Amino acid sequence: MADFWAAYQSTLGFAMVNAFFALSTYAVLSAGMLSFATVTFAALGGFLGAQLAVHLALPPVLVMPVSALSGALLAYVVALLFLRLDSHWMALASLALVLITRVVALNATALTGGVNGLSVPLSLPLWVLAAILAVICVVFWRLSASWYGIAARAVREDAAVAATLGIPQRRIQTIAFIISGAVGGLGGILLALMLQFLSPETYFIDIAFTMIAAVVLGGSYHWAGAIVGAVVFTALPVLLQAVVPDFEKVANGICLLLIMIFLPRGLIDPRALRLRRARKAPSR
Amino acid sequence: MSLFVEQLINGCALGSLYALFAIGFGLVFATLGILNAAHGTYASWAAIAALAAVQRLGLPFPLAVLVGVAAGGALGVAVDQIAFQPLRRRGAGMLGALITSIAAWIVLDNLAGVATGQDSLSFPTDSYPGGMLHVGGIAFSTMQLITIIAMLAATLGMHLLVRHSRFGAAMRAVGWKEQAAAIVGVDPRRVVLATAFLAGAASGLAGVLGGISTANVSYSLGEGLMLKGFAAVVVGGYDDVRGAALAGVALGILEVMSAQYVSTSLRDGITYALLLGFLLLRPRGLFGGTSFVRA
Repeated sequence: MADFWAAYQSTLGFAMVNAFFALSTYAVLSAGMLSFATVTFAALGGFLGAQLAVHLALPPVLVMPVSALSGALLAYVVALLFLRLDSHWMALASLALVLITRVVALNATALTGGVNGLSVPLSLPLWVLAAILAVICVVFWRLSASWYGIAARAVREDAAVAATLGIPQRRIQTIAFIISGAVGGLGGILLALMLQFLSPETYFIDIAFTMIAAVVLGGSYHWAGAIVGAVVFTALPVLLQAVVPDFEKVANGICLLLIMIFLPRGLIDPRALRLRRARKAPSR
Repeated sequence: MSLFVEQLINGCALGSLYALFAIGFGLVFATLGILNAAHGTYASWAAIAALAAVQRLGLPFPLAVLVGVAAGGALGVAVDQIAFQPLRRRGAGMLGALITSIAAWIVLDNLAGVATGQDSLSFPTDSYPGGMLHVGGIAFSTMQLITIIAMLAATLGMHLLVRHSRFGAAMRAVGWKEQAAAIVGVDPRRVVLATAFLAGAASGLAGVLGGISTANVSYSLGEGLMLKGFAAVVVGGYDDVRGAALAGVALGILEVMSAQYVSTSLRDGITYALLLGFLLLRPRGLFGGTSFVRA
């Protein structure tokens, strides 16, 4: 058991960090927007937080709120610019933002260390990570039942109907972006603390695709789906490596394909649960 | 002056590759509503197929290009039928197809790495027209001329097909609303297959020509095209072939010129700064009009 724990400790850590990214993506997705901008929020939170922790020797507890706040601020600016675009264009624009993020990270050497990267000689106990994730989960749980959560669901299902109900679409989507930015920025610094090293490649396309795949895999209609998806998507390559050592990435892709084809609404699907309950009800 | 003109030609040739990529990517996005992350791998595989045609079968250059283009198109159709068709039947929307395209990208990218032995291969120098042409003191390679002509032909052909043919009208109809298109007698399945093939073939053409002129046949060929071709799609607009082509060429020229006259390290920065500027000032692309959808 101790061996098992030692071997999979880092997998568990990365699964939890990916859960933050997935929740950040879920936050915008739950208001009907596909955006990869989480990567940019994470990059800002990560690099800024790492600089504060290294140069000002601030303890991680203080750095994290700063990272989350900076992500939220950037998200507000991004929302102002992006909410003018319609859905297809926003997806493209946010992907472009990810590409720009890497170029900025390469050239803003004062903040990011440029090509040499930035070492972050701090670590975070796993239980702290778990505790923060638990707090964020409670926030998402309460949000999902709040006026905001219901309004966001309405906007996602049908923006026109939501507008006739007096739901301010712009404001709901701006709030969604700010939540996404805060969680993304927090995820960024947590990733920095996990990796203990940051480079311009750290926050790039791979994270963008990983997190969107995690959310959709886990189920994009419930916040818990993001967490389940992140765990599955982080653990799958590790497990597959033990089974098919040379082709674990290919096998990973095939698994992803199969899950999407057979469970297109993801592993956690509130509608399927409701349907099952409704089917049982009359027999009682 | 002759240096400037030569660099202009270099930029056009490079940009033609981006343009070819962008045309196919935009076509799939506009017609099928799929943000296809696997589009770049078609280029890698087309180059690998063309190289195999040269090395194993000893085919001459024009036939090898044809093999590559056909391979790109076939791969486009195969990925569409395996990864996108099951979701289309269930109406899973843009998100599901994005995920399966990521899955296809992971699989094809890694298999391409295996196929080339994680190496960067190149075409034998006698397998393509490698000579230099001199026109009035300006030198450029035959491959550059071929690349630019191929791009112009593909753009013109695709534009005529999409905007001025019955089939193109059917494609745009399916892109707007598949059910409505089916009601007025369009067979969506044929349109889907043709679109997937054309897009894959365009990407394949970019892959073969790019693989020859950059002497790089590997998985990274498609990735490089993807990152820049994607920028061309955003600048040019995905729903217009001309816009994507023009933007691709412009980005190629900009890249070469900024490396020559500004700084090599800022080359990508300038490209993406332009991209950001376009997103903010002209978010619907060069020729982007207004779209009419239900409020």
